Amino acid sequence: MAAKPIEGEKKVFVTGNEATAWAALAAGADIMYGYPITPQNEIMHYWTRLAPKHGKKFLQTEDEISAGFTCLGGVFSGKKAFTATAGPGNTLMQEPMSMAEMMRVPAVFVICQRGGPSTATVIYSQQETTLTCFGGNGEGLRIVYSTESHQELFDYTIKAFNTAWKYRFPTFVLGDGYQSKMRESLVMYDPEARGIEMVKPEPIVRKPGIPGVDRKPIHLRNTYNMEDELYDAVMDIVNDFKKMSPEVVEYATFDCEDADVLILAHGVVSRAAQGAVKQLREEGLKVGHFRPITLRPFPQEELKKYAKKAKNILVVESAYGQFDKMVKENIYGVSTPIKQYFRPGEGITVEEVVQEAKELI
Amino acid sequence: MDIPIVEAYIGEYASGKSENAVNRALWLKNQGRKVTLADLDIVEPFYTLRPIKKKLEEMGIEVMAWESRKTMGLGETGNIIKPELRWVLKRPGDLILDVGYGVEGAKTLNLVHGAYDNPYLKIYAVINVSRPMTSTVPDIVEYIKYLGRVDGIINNTHLGDETDIEVIQNGAKIVNEASQELKIPVIFTSVEKHHQDILGNRDCAGNPVFYIQRFMSETFW
Repeated sequence: MAAKPIEGEKKVFVTGNEATAWAALAAGADIMYGYPITPQNEIMHYWTRLAPKHGKKFLQTEDEISAGFTCLGGVFSGKKAFTATAGPGNTLMQEPMSMAEMMRVPAVFVICQRGGPSTATVIYSQQETTLTCFGGNGEGLRIVYSTESHQELFDYTIKAFNTAWKYRFPTFVLGDGYQSKMRESLVMYDPEARGIEMVKPEPIVRKPGIPGVDRKPIHLRNTYNMEDELYDAVMDIVNDFKKMSPEVVEYATFDCEDADVLILAHGVVSRAAQGAVKQLREEGLKVGHFRPITLRPFPQEELKKYAKKAKNILVVESAYGQFDKMVKENIYGVSTPIKQYFRPGEGITVEEVVQEAKELI
Repeated sequence: MDIPIVEAYIGEYASGKSENAVNRALWLKNQGRKVTLADLDIVEPFYTLRPIKKKLEEMGIEVMAWESRKTMGLGETGNIIKPELRWVLKRPGDLILDVGYGVEGAKTLNLVHGAYDNPYLKIYAVINVSRPMTSTVPDIVEYIKYLGRVDGIINNTHLGDETDIEVIQNGAKIVNEASQELKIPVIFTSVEKHHQDILGNRDCAGNPVFYIQRFMSETFW
C-alpha cells in the first residue's frame, strides 16, 4: 500500500499556497484541474511536484471556464477533484460554479482573492467575497469558508472535501493573496490520525448496475422546461441548504458578551480585529469581535444576538462594502448603528482598527 | 588586489535566499568592502528586495532592483529583468545575487552575461529543513542535484517564530548528512541573532554560525 503523504503530524514552515496543496493531498484529493493566475499559482506548482510521488493527477486547461467544468467532470466520475483561482479567473469560473450549484456537484474551489475589479492587482483584497458567495446566475447555494491563517487553510481545505461530499454543495475555501504568500509555521497532519473521518467519493454518473434494471437511471439536470419545474428544483436546493446550515455554520467570538463596540471582520482582516480587541481590552475598553468563519451559510442568529447587545458596530473589510452588505442583510431589524471602514485592495492593520474603534467609544 | 566575493543564492521557494543575501551583503559592507546586492527574482511580486531598497541603500549597500511603482502589471506574469542586471557581473567590488523563485529561478542566471565563465562566482543553495520539500536527506540531495551547479550549501533551517535549539541542531544534522552525500560543503548555518546565547559559534555539525537580523518581514509589498 502506498505511504500516506503525511504520517502522523509534523511542524513545517510554508507559504499559504503550499499549505493548501498539502492539505488537498492529505484530504485524499485525486486530481487538480488548473489554470494559472497569480496569486494561486504555487498551489498548482506544489500539487504538480507532489502529484507524481503520490499517484495523483493534474490537468491544465485552456482557461478557467474549462478548469471549472473539467473539475465538475472529475467529480462526476467519482474523484475528489478541486481547482483554484483568483480575480478575473474567479469571474470566468462562475459559469461552472453555477452549474455545480444547480446540479449539486461536490467540487472544491480555492479562491485566493486579489485586487478588483478586473485585472487590478495580483496582491490582495477581500473584493471577491460577493463573487465567491453569490456569483453566477443563481442564489448563492454554496458553502464558503473564509480562512485567516495557514493552519486554517490546511484545516479547512481538508474540511471542504468532507463538507462538499457529505452535503453535496460546491464548497469554497476563500483565502487571499496575503495568506497565499505569507510565510508561517504550520502543523500538517494526517486527518485520520486525528480522528477525522474522510468522506469517500463515489461516481455520480456511470454507477454500477444497469439503469432501469438494477437502479433508476441517473439524470443530472441543469435545465428545466417550465417555470414551475424550476421553482420546485430551486426550492429543493434551498430547503436542503437550510437543513445543512446549522450543521455547517461556523464562527468565532472574541470578548463579545459585554462589548459596547462590536467589530465585524472576516478572513485575514479578522487577525487585525483580534489584535485590536486585545489592545483595547488592555486599556479597559469594552470592545469585542465577531468573526464569521462560514460566509455561506452565514451565522445569522449568532451575530444578531451580539449585534443587538452592542452600542455600536464597526464593519472592517478590504473591499468597498461587500461584507458590509452581507452583515446588514443578516442583521436586518437590529437597530445598532453601523460604522464602516472600507479599504478596497489594501491590508488593514491593528492600529487602524484600534483608531476606528476608539472613535466609537 | 582583493579577490571579489561573488555569490549567487538559489534554492527552494521561501527557503531564505533573500534574507541571507541581505545579511551577507551587510556583513561584507561592515568589513569595509564595497557591495552590490542584485534582485534577480523575475517572478515573485512579494518578498523580494524592492521594498527595502532605499533602507539598504541608506545602510551603504548598492541595491539593483526595480522600484515597485516603476513596474507595470507587477507579478501578473513575472517581470522583465532590469536591463542593467544582465551585465551585473561587470560591476567592481563584491556582488550578492538573490536568484529568486525556487527551482525555475536558478535558470535566471542564464540571463546574466558571463555568469558561468566568471572565475569568482560561487553558487550557493539555501536550504531550510522545515520546508516540507527539503526536509529529509534524500529530498535535499534530489533537490540540489536538480538545481544544476551548486558550489556550497547554506543551512537556513528555522520555523519562523517557533524556532528553538532543537529545530536548529536537527537542521544542521540533516543538512550535514546531505552535504556529505553530495560532496558539497556547508558554507555556514544562519540563525537569528536572538538565539546567540543558546548557540555558540558553531552548530552541532561543526558549521560556522552566521547570526542574522530579519529584514524580509518588511518586504510584504
